[in-house]
Amino acid sequence: MGQFLQFAINGLMSGAIYALIALGIVAIYKATRVVNFAHGYVIMIGAYLYYTFAVLLPAAPWFPDLLFTPAWLVEAKASAQMFSPEAAWLAWLEKLPRIVFGLICAIIGSALLARLIERFLMRPLLGQSNFAMIMITVGLISVLSGAKSMIWTGDAASVPHLAPNPALRFEVFGSKVFIFGANLVSMGLALLIFAAIVIWLRRSSSGVAMRAASEDQSTAYSMGISVPRVFANAWVLAAATGAIAGAILAARDGVSPALGLFGFSVLAIVLMGGLDSFVGVFISAMAVGILEALAQWQLGGDWVEITPYVAVLIVILIRPHGLLGQKEIERI
Amino acid sequence: MINGNLKATYAADEKIADNRYKVSFIWGLAALAALLPIFANDYIILVACQVGIMVIAVVGLNVLTGYTGLMSLGHAAFVAIGAYGVTLLHHAATALSISDGLQPFLTIPGAMALAAVIGLIVGLPSLRVKGVYLAVATLSANFIIIFLIELDAFAPWTGGKTGLTTVDPSIFGWVLDTQREVFVLIAVMAFATVLLVQNLFRTRVGRAFIAIRERDYSAEILGISLFHYKLTSFAISAACCGLAGALMAYFYARVLPEQFELLLSLQLVAALIVGGMGRTMGPVFGVLVIVLSPELLKVVLSAIAGDSIEAAQFRAPLQEIIFGLLIIGFIMFEPLGMTQISDRVFRALNRWPFARG
Repeated sequence: MGQFLQFAINGLMSGAIYALIALGIVAIYKATRVVNFAHGYVIMIGAYLYYTFAVLLPAAPWFPDLLFTPAWLVEAKASAQMFSPEAAWLAWLEKLPRIVFGLICAIIGSALLARLIERFLMRPLLGQSNFAMIMITVGLISVLSGAKSMIWTGDAASVPHLAPNPALRFEVFGSKVFIFGANLVSMGLALLIFAAIVIWLRRSSSGVAMRAASEDQSTAYSMGISVPRVFANAWVLAAATGAIAGAILAARDGVSPALGLFGFSVLAIVLMGGLDSFVGVFISAMAVGILEALAQWQLGGDWVEITPYVAVLIVILIRPHGLLGQKEIERI
Repeated sequence: MINGNLKATYAADEKIADNRYKVSFIWGLAALAALLPIFANDYIILVACQVGIMVIAVVGLNVLTGYTGLMSLGHAAFVAIGAYGVTLLHHAATALSISDGLQPFLTIPGAMALAAVIGLIVGLPSLRVKGVYLAVATLSANFIIIFLIELDAFAPWTGGKTGLTTVDPSIFGWVLDTQREVFVLIAVMAFATVLLVQNLFRTRVGRAFIAIRERDYSAEILGISLFHYKLTSFAISAACCGLAGALMAYFYARVLPEQFELLLSLQLVAALIVGGMGRTMGPVFGVLVIVLSPELLKVVLSAIAGDSIEAAQFRAPLQEIIFGLLIIGFIMFEPLGMTQISDRVFRALNRWPFARG
């Protein structure tokens, strides 16, 4: 039971990050009816931007010193015990300016990239077949992954966590549960952003515009909604949440090109939940997170990589439009 | 001088190559392929073999995506099944003491049949879903099949992550142990596949595929069984990819599971888009562009930057970017692909000097 609980908690924590990434794919789909196959690679670029602005640039000699370390921090750090929670907190506090700078720059950079993609690749194809737009995102996979290896030639590297990372131990039902603080905070952050954006889409006027455009583009246009702006907003929203998710993932697993492939498992999760349902996608993200943790526990780490794909195949065969997705009605 | 398409008989109208420019183009290609093994150097043979293998696989994908209208991002898995299948069948045939010279006649159809069966299984979701859902379903199938090949439990047969050493085929005692000899086999098979698939679309089955592409529900109302024909399409398409895989196994000394991952699936789709979907020559033109552009890049880069290490470092990413830009560019500016360009050229030639374009 204790082990099960441990793996279930791990699963929920990665499920929350899946949900945060899936949010981007669903937002783009809802607004533009395009399924973004390259979302994983947009996230990868976001992670590399975070790495650049939080690690590479502050290390450059010409860069202004972001580490205005006050004397008391140095003192406290020297006296703190190695690997104690205090040491973890102090290490985080010391890097906080870099983390904030890196995250903000990553979000801005990703949003710019998304604007460029939307403006120069998606908008010219407005009104064309969906297939063409989807294949463009498939082409984007190669372009982004090639651009990444051209700009960042280094191998996998580690980046600072967004939150302090002390190891937390609990005693639940007489068994020990072990959690990293940063993972817990990341989960909370992911859930918070997910909830905030879903509420924003329900309540705010730009959210309503996005939903209107997804219902019927030409009617929305004639009602005075600027559909191109809605599209741009959706892409920027996806890229910004993707940059945060990328930073979280990069801190957890290290920055590497493998982040791009991660996007495909999230795509599987999105289809499993239903392309246009935030609730369904949230449920399936959590379910896949837990299933992956269980697969790791019972079958071994290798099986984790295909868990989402097996799950999506089973769900699609039973419910072709995902768990809560809206059934498309076709007329002849 | 007669120009335009003058046809005096129905037989002339039903010809595949219905004007003399097309006929001479086809014979020209055939002659080129026949001369290559005699005159070309090893490098050209290597590239030509890659082109041939890819053409067969893309023709297979064309049956499914181009003619039946079902999107697949997982066809590399069928190529993998063909490559591993043919090697394992050779081992099995040797164990059954079938003479070497006859083995390819059993193993190649065997590998194609195996790929077709897997294709039927992978095609099952196509009865319930289409479009993006099917693309992701086939993508998932690709990941799962490669995972199973790499799995330790099957490693005694598949070699796991380290891959599998392939066999050199022997046709009636003629051992194809050089790339030049394998090229002959590949070229013959590629021509045969293109021709057979072209003729498939002049039959009832092929027309049913096209009807499904145009509107699947309408086709069903007209009495075309979607269950039957969608799965047939998947099986034919997978069998072609299986053949490509088998030839790949003959061509390379070793097959590795990572050769058949997402990248190959994307290359197949890219070649189809660049060439033109649902056209006979689409796969051929598309593969020529997709395979030759990296080679061209190699030449251009070495002309500009020499043999410096930096240039070599930049080549792989640049190749990837160009590959993506080819897909994007063709979709944005020439959605019907290279065949549209070649059509324009042929039309202009055919009507010259009275009309151009």
